[in-house]
Amino acid sequence: MLKLPTPNIGKISILVAILTWLALLFVDITRIFQSVNQMENTLAPEISYILEILFFILVYIFYNYSINKNENIDFLNLIWRGVSTGLLATFISFGISIFYLMLGESKLGSDPLVSNFFYHVNFAFITLFLISTSLLWKHLILYQKSKKVVQQWQAFEVLMLISMFFVFINENDFDYSFIFGLVFLSIFSASLSINLKWIPYLTFKEKWKSILFLVIILVCTTFLFSSLSSYSDIGVTSFVNLTDNLFLIGLFAFVFIYALFSFLVTLFNLPTSSVFEQKLVEAINFQRLSQSIKPGQDESQVLDILIDSSMSASYADGGWLEILDKDNIPQMIQKRFIDEEIREEIIALFQTIKPFSEFDWSLEDNDSKKFYGKIPHNIYKSAFLIPLVVNKKTIGRMYLVKEVRDGFNKEMINIITTFVGQASISVENYRLLNEAIKTERYKEELKIAQRVQRSLLPKELHHNEKFEICGFSVAADEVGGDYYETKNLDEGVFAIIIGDVSGKGTSAAFNMSQMKGIFHSLVQLKPSPGEFLYKANTALSQCLERNHFITTSYFLLDTNLQTIKYSRAGHCPTLFYDHSTDKAEYLSADGLGLGIVRNLNYRNYIHESEFQYEKEDILVLYTDGIIEAKDEKGVEFGYDNLKASLVKYKNLSAEKIQERIIDQVYQFVGEGGIPDDDFSIMVIKFNS
Amino acid sequence: MLNIEKHIEDGNWVLILTGEIDASNSVELDAAVSEVVQEGAKKILIDCSELDYISSAGLGVFMSYLDDFEENNVKMVIFDLKDKVFQVFHILGLDQLITIRPTKEEALKD
Repeated sequence: MLKLPTPNIGKISILVAILTWLALLFVDITRIFQSVNQMENTLAPEISYILEILFFILVYIFYNYSINKNENIDFLNLIWRGVSTGLLATFISFGISIFYLMLGESKLGSDPLVSNFFYHVNFAFITLFLISTSLLWKHLILYQKSKKVVQQWQAFEVLMLISMFFVFINENDFDYSFIFGLVFLSIFSASLSINLKWIPYLTFKEKWKSILFLVIILVCTTFLFSSLSSYSDIGVTSFVNLTDNLFLIGLFAFVFIYALFSFLVTLFNLPTSSVFEQKLVEAINFQRLSQSIKPGQDESQVLDILIDSSMSASYADGGWLEILDKDNIPQMIQKRFIDEEIREEIIALFQTIKPFSEFDWSLEDNDSKKFYGKIPHNIYKSAFLIPLVVNKKTIGRMYLVKEVRDGFNKEMINIITTFVGQASISVENYRLLNEAIKTERYKEELKIAQRVQRSLLPKELHHNEKFEICGFSVAADEVGGDYYETKNLDEGVFAIIIGDVSGKGTSAAFNMSQMKGIFHSLVQLKPSPGEFLYKANTALSQCLERNHFITTSYFLLDTNLQTIKYSRAGHCPTLFYDHSTDKAEYLSADGLGLGIVRNLNYRNYIHESEFQYEKEDILVLYTDGIIEAKDEKGVEFGYDNLKASLVKYKNLSAEKIQERIIDQVYQFVGEGGIPDDDFSIMVIKFNS
Repeated sequence: MLNIEKHIEDGNWVLILTGEIDASNSVELDAAVSEVVQEGAKKILIDCSELDYISSAGLGVFMSYLDDFEENNVKMVIFDLKDKVFQVFHILGLDQLITIRPTKEEALKD
């Protein structure tokens, strides 16, 4: 398949336009030649008209294409393109005039063929200038377009198209219909020319440039128009008249009117342009402030933008910003254009004169307050003070000072207040984010603590075939203070301990790990229960805080003799099920918690008991979390329920008994209930 | 919730505890007792007729003053404990160290 290259509209249109122009030139020169040599005129004027219209359309296509290709060109460049074509056309027209001036009254100077050639050149460049500039104006008119403006422009283009064909009716006569058409087009142009929305977006400097460009365009247009009229005067147009054309004259009117309007509006916009620019800067600053600080960045960046924006909004001559540090002492974070010495002078003034002296860090409604007024200082005459408030808490304040009296008006104060509000929100977001990250880290740490503490409770409990044993513990918080452990001391002799550290949470968990250490040290000595408690109390007295204590029960189980020797240090009384009587009872030996009496007297509070057990007897060790577990009404699970549960499930294995008791407790607490204390349970069942 | 009311009655400081003492509010109890001690009280009566619950942290507060009281000859008497609350004192063995009386009259006699 032969693939045709996609046609380049720009190149083709300009090429065809040049050919059309050459054809037009040839036709017209032939006509003059015939006319001069008094030959029969074989060429109808319509041929010229058609070629002329074709030329207009091709030039339009070319410029439309080339401008659309550069969509994002800025206003000044756009106008500059008009200026450059205008200058080119003007120079050529001017050059031709000079050329004729130099020729003077020579034969060549009055030769109709030569003058006609130059007429055509002039015509071509004027057409280029007018059509290209009209298309540039189109871009400016349609800036921030509405549907109405677009329709208006389309109507204008149709009118211009019709005006091209006007020549067939009117044959380039300057009659009333021509004047009527021209006036109509001018009025339409004027109504289009009020679309000047692009002007306010120019900066002050750009406005000056555009004024210069527009003046050049106006001058060029005027010059080209007058030079065209001069052609009619010297009679070139008697053979062919290309330029007394409604389309061309209409375009002259349009280009001139729009340039004039733009020029005048830009000129009168000059004095107010700084206000517009200021507002634009404020809007941008506002946007910068509202972008929240990214994690890892400092909030001082926002405060930096805040003070700069506020100072530029109020034209302040100096300013500074203070933020409260951790100890609620104001620290200066930002300072602008003011000496430290003078700043201190002004701060001293603030403390004595109203309204500034009324500022109070501790007030809750500071976010609605701002302080401004005169200050008796030899450089700065007026001052403005505004608090920065986050969550009703004043975190800082900003000072602005000016060298003029009453330097802060309502608009400035309003915009600064908005800036401060936005900055406060940004700072608040930043602080909340940081806090969230910190909390997340604490949670992570607690998880580690939880893992470590879990490992402190034994997974396997020592036992032999003569008894079953199992244990379970759950903490109310991430970490807890309950503790149980076993140790095989001799053949058939076991030490068993259960303990509960006062309080809960992290501090309890630390003390629990101390208790574990003490157990493992003392158990090596194979102490009697009483001896164990005494030594443990002595050890704990050294390391427990004054208001902390540990309750514990220590058992020595001898499976050879079937005896249990135990001591209780303030711990919940152990529940014992006696199979022979089918009754469960609490073993209530006297005792006192560890760490309560921290001297030798503790020995007086230790009691040791010993009893025999039989097959099928059950021992339940637990912590007070089970007894004190509350249901929705606040009723405690209590000793009776525990006892009843044990009797109910006495025939099950140790593990099953433990499971059922825990189930009972959870059922008692109910669906929505949460254990508010650590709770642990151990069940020992004797097989023989 | 814990509410502590303090007043002087016949030269003795009386603290009336209402509600529950747990880890979260045991500090308040500690503050109240230490304030009374600062006032130079020699006998402190603690009315627990409206005390529904005391946790180990609450017991820790009473416990922590035992040595101080002995040294400075301050007498602390707890009276009118509910059975359930008395059980907590009893199991821990604190009733061996702190004077606990069933009624205010008996508490005053000590």
